[in-house]
Amino acid sequence: MIDEGAGRPEAEILSAAFYQSPLPLIVVADGGTVSAVSHEACALMGLSREELLGRSVNGYFLPQLPIGRCFELKECLDQRCRREMLPGRGDPIPVEILCRPFRVGSDEGEDLETEYNHCLLYISDTRKRDYEDELRAARVAKLSLLNQVSEALYGANLTLDQVLEAVLICITAGQGLRFNRAFLLLVDEEVGVMRGEIAIGPSDQDEAGRIWTDLSHQPEDLFSMMTSYDQSIKQTDAAVNAIVKTMSVSLSDHDNVLVRSMEERQAIRITPDMDLPGVAAIRQWLGCDCFAVAPLMTRSGILGAIIADNAISGQRITDLDLEFLQLFANQSASAIENSRLYTELERRLIDLRQAHQKQREHQETLLRMERLSVMGETSAIVAHELRNPLVAIGGFARALVRNLDQDDPNHRYAGIITEEVSRMETIIHDLLDFIRPQKLQRKVVVVDDLVTATVERFGGEIQAKGIELALDLQAGGAKVSCNPIEIQQVLQNFLVNAMQVMPEGGSIEVRTRQVTGGVQVEVCDTGPGIAENMSDKLFAPFFTTKPTGSGLGLTICQQIIKSHGGVVGVRNRTEKGAGFSFILPLPKDS
Amino acid sequence: MSRILIVDDEPHLRLLYETELRRAGFETMTASNAVQGLEFVETMEPDLVILDIRMAGMDGIEAMQHIMERDQRVPVILNTAFSSYKDNYLTWAADAYLTKSSDVTELVETVKQVLEKQATAHG
Repeated sequence: MIDEGAGRPEAEILSAAFYQSPLPLIVVADGGTVSAVSHEACALMGLSREELLGRSVNGYFLPQLPIGRCFELKECLDQRCRREMLPGRGDPIPVEILCRPFRVGSDEGEDLETEYNHCLLYISDTRKRDYEDELRAARVAKLSLLNQVSEALYGANLTLDQVLEAVLICITAGQGLRFNRAFLLLVDEEVGVMRGEIAIGPSDQDEAGRIWTDLSHQPEDLFSMMTSYDQSIKQTDAAVNAIVKTMSVSLSDHDNVLVRSMEERQAIRITPDMDLPGVAAIRQWLGCDCFAVAPLMTRSGILGAIIADNAISGQRITDLDLEFLQLFANQSASAIENSRLYTELERRLIDLRQAHQKQREHQETLLRMERLSVMGETSAIVAHELRNPLVAIGGFARALVRNLDQDDPNHRYAGIITEEVSRMETIIHDLLDFIRPQKLQRKVVVVDDLVTATVERFGGEIQAKGIELALDLQAGGAKVSCNPIEIQQVLQNFLVNAMQVMPEGGSIEVRTRQVTGGVQVEVCDTGPGIAENMSDKLFAPFFTTKPTGSGLGLTICQQIIKSHGGVVGVRNRTEKGAGFSFILPLPKDS
Repeated sequence: MSRILIVDDEPHLRLLYETELRRAGFETMTASNAVQGLEFVETMEPDLVILDIRMAGMDGIEAMQHIMERDQRVPVILNTAFSSYKDNYLTWAADAYLTKSSDVTELVETVKQVLEKQATAHG
């Protein structure tokens, strides 16, 4: 009984089985002809089994495989060799060939180990392997860069701008993700918009060429990259930074590719045939059809997005490019958020320091005021105690002046004593008024009325000295809260000063005006005005230009106005003379 | 001729006031403290008392209160180096309040005015 399968010749079965091998195998007989071939080998070589069987294998490889010689010389025993394979169709393929020679047939008296008449070739496409190696190497390199970058971004005290710059440098650097240009957009949550913030990239081919030459010599760590960026790229960024400033996308536009990329937490590659919402606008900004967008996400939310393209070189954005862009965007987002938090912390620290400083200043002011108050009390006591002896000295000096003959030189001396004592008494008088705490009895008064009343009281005295008096009241019924007696005292002081600087006569004008937040009262004279270096000292205690002045009058005026929350001022008028003024604040609710 | 009692613990001031008031035609007597002053008010019956306020022992304000309590009213002028007493309501009862000055004219004038007022009041 003959079984159908078992009836077939053994060689045929083996040949069919060989064809089914999942490996690209060829059996070459003596002389180089193909005696068996696997399906995989056929596929690789782009030829059918029939086309290959019986043909010489040598012609398909460059350089030729010297199979015959190989058998004679036993040259390629178990060797690997690399060849260009010329397939039936298409370009040559780089292959690696593994040879296993063997012997078929009679073995009488012959050395089995040395006399081969067949060879099994294992042909592998090195393209695929090279690509995978390269891919692996690239992954390792980029992961290492990513690692380095994130360490650098976290470790260093970079400002937010520096972090953003570093992120973009890594996206465009040769050692980095090798994009031509990169644009960074940040979310402004208050306005609900994502806006272009910063960009990196050359504006044309020439610039690109120069920069890429520069960058090819770059060392591979982040800081060196940032330094050479500062040196060679920064000045060429104007064009892309002009572009980035025009970028703006509303966050409520959920279909927009940028918003979608953020919401789906997924980088998206846009190819020329794709037409998603928002893509047209980005293409217009970029002037380029292909680009990639990647979201900048952190655990706490969306920070923004990165747009990267190869507008200059026109190179395709690969899967790997996209994968790394996404990875890198994730890293960058954390770094950006860190930097923001750090900046925020720093700002709060500064605020705290300032608050602390202010508090210390307040404390110092309080201490100073306390010291001043003690000093004030002490000087009040001293001033009072001095008054008794002064009264005795001055009183008897007056008696001497009266009793001594006019021709007697002592008459003059006693007169001098009298004068000087008077001066000291004036100082004590003013000082005691100055130190005496003023009781705050505030009334709301119409400024113009108060001024009119005061000027009327002194009007006669002023005109008696041959001085013209004019009022120019423009405060228009404005009211201030003040102690009217004190304000009258200030005005009186200004008027008396004005009279004293015009012994030969002149004119006084009292003006009132509304100014921002207050009412200004000014007493203008036509006297000699104020010497340039004097205006600062006028209000200082004990400063006087008058022979009998105490130097406290204007100081007291200033105290009074300050206690009302106002300011005093002095100026030389453009026409002639000086103007002494004060401003009283308007009540807050008016 | 009106008789003026000067009460002040400063001997030079007593002398000054005596000199000036005598020159103005008044008769004067002096006391160097409040207790002595009150004694002289009783024994010498002055027409007017010039009282210093701050003195060792009893002060001028207390002395004035004793004088005011008497049946027979004697006018009082408070004359002090301390302008701040002006804020003390106890001093408001005085017929006049003066801050000491080397120019004694004001004191003399005030003495005259107070005496005149006193004279008109008592017809």
